[in-house]
Amino acid sequence: MYRTFIEKHLKGDPIIWFIVILLSVLSIFVVYSATGTLAYRHMGGNTEYYLLKHTMLVLLSFMAMWIAHKIDYRYYSRISRLFLWISVPLLLITWKFGVTINEASRWLTIPVINQVFQPSDLAKLALITNLAAMLSKRQQHIEDLKDTLIPMLLWCGLICGLIALTDFSSATLLLVTCLLILFIGRVPVKYLALLVLVGILAGALAFSIGQRGETVVSRLKDYLDPTEIPFQAKQSYIAIATGGVTGKGPGNSDQRNFLPHPYSDFIYAIIIEEYGLAGGLAVVVLYLALLWRGIITASKSDRAFGGLLSAGLCFALVLQAMINMGVAVGLVPITGLPLPLVSMGGTSLLFTGMALGIILSVSRGEIEEFGGRSGNIKNVPKAA
Amino acid sequence: MLRVRVAFLAFLLFGLAIAYRILDLQVIEGEQWKSLADEIGLQYRTIKATRGNIYSDNGSLLLTSLPFYKVALDPSVSEESVFKKDIDSLSYRLSKFFKDKRASDYKRMIEAARLKGREYIVINAEEITYQEKKEMAKWPLFRYGRMKGGVIFEKVDKRFHPFSYLGYRTIGYVNQSNEGAGLEYSFNQYLAGSSGEALFRKVAGGRWRQVYDGTEIRPENGLDIMTTIDVNLQDVSQDALLGALKEHDADYGCVVVMEVQTGEIKAISNLSKTSSGGYAERYNYAVGSQGLTEPGSTFKLASMIALLEETNISLDDSIETGEGEYQYYDRTMPDHKPGGFGKITVKEAFAKSSNIAISKLVYAHFGTNPQRYIDFIKGMGLGRPLGFQMVGEGHPYIKETTDKTWSGVSLPWMSIGHELTMTPLQTLTFYNAVANNGKMIQPIIVKATVKAGQPVKTFDSIVLNKKICSDKTLEEVKLLLREVVLDGTASNIKHSHYPIAGKTGTSQKLINGRYTKKYYTSFAGYFPAEAPLYSCIVVIDNPKGYRQYGSDVAAPVFKEIADKIYASNLQMHPPMPDDLYVDETIFPVIRSGNLEDLTMICNQLGVSNHKKSGKEWVKTKTEANYVNWVSNDTRNGLVPDVVGMSLRDAIYILENQGLEVRYSGIGRVKKQSASPGKKAVKGSKIYLDLG
Repeated sequence: MYRTFIEKHLKGDPIIWFIVILLSVLSIFVVYSATGTLAYRHMGGNTEYYLLKHTMLVLLSFMAMWIAHKIDYRYYSRISRLFLWISVPLLLITWKFGVTINEASRWLTIPVINQVFQPSDLAKLALITNLAAMLSKRQQHIEDLKDTLIPMLLWCGLICGLIALTDFSSATLLLVTCLLILFIGRVPVKYLALLVLVGILAGALAFSIGQRGETVVSRLKDYLDPTEIPFQAKQSYIAIATGGVTGKGPGNSDQRNFLPHPYSDFIYAIIIEEYGLAGGLAVVVLYLALLWRGIITASKSDRAFGGLLSAGLCFALVLQAMINMGVAVGLVPITGLPLPLVSMGGTSLLFTGMALGIILSVSRGEIEEFGGRSGNIKNVPKAA
Repeated sequence: MLRVRVAFLAFLLFGLAIAYRILDLQVIEGEQWKSLADEIGLQYRTIKATRGNIYSDNGSLLLTSLPFYKVALDPSVSEESVFKKDIDSLSYRLSKFFKDKRASDYKRMIEAARLKGREYIVINAEEITYQEKKEMAKWPLFRYGRMKGGVIFEKVDKRFHPFSYLGYRTIGYVNQSNEGAGLEYSFNQYLAGSSGEALFRKVAGGRWRQVYDGTEIRPENGLDIMTTIDVNLQDVSQDALLGALKEHDADYGCVVVMEVQTGEIKAISNLSKTSSGGYAERYNYAVGSQGLTEPGSTFKLASMIALLEETNISLDDSIETGEGEYQYYDRTMPDHKPGGFGKITVKEAFAKSSNIAISKLVYAHFGTNPQRYIDFIKGMGLGRPLGFQMVGEGHPYIKETTDKTWSGVSLPWMSIGHELTMTPLQTLTFYNAVANNGKMIQPIIVKATVKAGQPVKTFDSIVLNKKICSDKTLEEVKLLLREVVLDGTASNIKHSHYPIAGKTGTSQKLINGRYTKKYYTSFAGYFPAEAPLYSCIVVIDNPKGYRQYGSDVAAPVFKEIADKIYASNLQMHPPMPDDLYVDETIFPVIRSGNLEDLTMICNQLGVSNHKKSGKEWVKTKTEANYVNWVSNDTRNGLVPDVVGMSLRDAIYILENQGLEVRYSGIGRVKKQSASPGKKAVKGSKIYLDLG
């Protein structure tokens, strides 16, 4: 009976569902532990405050995922351009008038419900979807510079540049993701160099007029200087080193008290401290498995759009996860990126849920009624 | 799919790199990071907020925080040669300073600890002041400091009472576990502030240094509180009370002085006998529940108001009190005069505090419906807590007719202040209402919370009852209260500097349900009787000796306090009578000077004077029996007339005109070298002869 219920309501790749649920459960455990200090210092010891808040958001993101996976993926192609246009003024407003946290204004307050959200999350999702749509439409003349590549490069440059005004790491990550999607979408490698060039130009511009120039320089300096390990990194290494093979056990982290943002930027260090090398490796494996299932979905998709969409979103998500984990272990300079699906963090969880929902929607294939009516998406050969 | 596979492979490699890096951190660099964890020794430590001060009404400090130090020693750090050289003289100094152990004991203690390799011993638990610490830091061995000498001065913030034991219990305390009493405890939420917290890193020498990582929470220092306590009145009250307690060997006593119109408590003193026979501020009987007692005769005022308001009796009605004993059912009501008062007027009954008369009147008028009496008493505002600012106010109790213990004798006994309990402060609030033309106001002791001299929150006293009774009744009870002092139980204090009005109270103490030969004496009243400024209550519990009545024990304390307030308060002195005889020979020599100064001096000495001049500087003209002020022109550019002035005034005026003053002699100005009215040349000299 349960089986039929699941089959009826949770469509799409069951393994993706499984991985997401596993990571979410882990997320609730670790966030509960990591917010202990925060709760003591800001909520008067009410440790359940953050637990409940985070659990609520996890459930909400499941809701977003479920709704997104119910919708035929081809529909996203249509609305993505609209959202792309919307995100341009949103990003500009955020840069000028947004809510400032940690000296960067990356947040906008939604009126009425009074919840802050990051427009860059929306822009990112819209750009990836739109890029997949543009690429799939132009698969036949992919080498055409003027009609095919220029519009795509311009969009990538514009959005990444706008995000870079307030958040350099996210912009760089998005640029790399775009490169990956273009690469998968069979764009010749020599043209990819062009995107790198566009990225550098946009970056340089944002660097000179944005808010984060100094932070970028100081973080890169810290990373490149082998003698000086920054405070956060030291604390992260201590967490990893003292975690051992099996860890200190759930809720027993010591370093959560000293690591800045143990519930978000450095949550991977806390995972290793509490669940050991075993836990840390399991998380890496889970993300790689998620990526693998995303690729399978892409290859099974009948349309180029579906494949590119699924692969693009999957790569974007796992890339961010890899970067976050890389920061914790010291492979990558310190960035402020959360670990998707695991870190505590308001509305970005909802966008992650939405992205996963879209991947699932691709994995369940076309929905008949919708396909009948769609006219503007041409059936083109599969990509890659 | 090739390109996808390539991309996936890249991710797989990155995943492997992460795995390798974890192993690297755990195994190869593991020891390094683990030892760093111990070494860095990071800790979140609280940063204590500074506690607020408590001020008197004029801004004198009643309670503040001062740093004190505990002396400890790390005997292991000093070099052998230094230690050997200094230990004897150090031990000698310590012994001389703390006076608790011999020098040889100190030496033995320190040497033994050094031998055992101990790194921390407390030299003495006594806390020393900052000045003493500064001095001590120069002592042998100690002068080498923390690192070479081993001395450790541990700072302890302590609450310090600049006025020593004055109002000790009212000012109160708060201990480590947040229990306490008095203002310190009642206003803890304002005084305490909130502690901050910050990340600290252990540095050499066992000290902690703050890591500024942006997560620190700054401490919010406590607010100061501004009380209504007048330090002088408090001192006077405490002194007078202590004297009486000692004289009568009483168990405890308390005094509260309240400003009539504002309800501000100007002094509050509570003293109780200690086991060693002395007296100390240990419990706030004036406010707290242990101070709840049967008020006794002071409550007759309430009965009198009830009678005057609710019935048509007049003060001149007479009443038969018999031979000093009156039977209510199975109980006998006695009067304190052996043989009884016989037939007396209502006025006399109150003034002489006849139990029989008051209870008979109340019983006659309310006996059929006792609830009417109780409703009236409660309607005035008695029987309810005042909602006083200090924690732990005693809850008064006035028996209801529905009470299980209610009986036929309840009403007559209640009418003279028994079978009900009130705190001294509640009784005083009632008397204050009479003094304040019937307006009953809540007593207050804290006027405002203050931050850096600026008020944050002000507290106003609440009106508990706009009018407790009619003006006619007020006039009558004021007369009665005055009569008590003029020709009643408190006539022993009638020769005070000004009129006192009040009521004595003496009640036998109820112990285990039986009235004993122990007394609770009190006097509640106000002064000056016509235009009351202060109300005051004095309570003395269980005085010993043959004089045990309120009139003998409590009333004199009231008078002493009132007299001292009189002596220090100009406002309360009657104006000098106009027909004061002035003898030419003793008339004060005032010739010339500043109008304001001279008027003040004359007024204080009772010299009649008239102000005709509006000018700042005046000369005197004695007319008949008063002084007339004539203006003394000090126009710009002209030499002023300073003859008759004191040198201080003369120099002020002359130098204002740019003249340079030279003088000889002692006394007032007799002669000036430049005649008045001449043009004053700036910088020129003027010679004054004094005499």
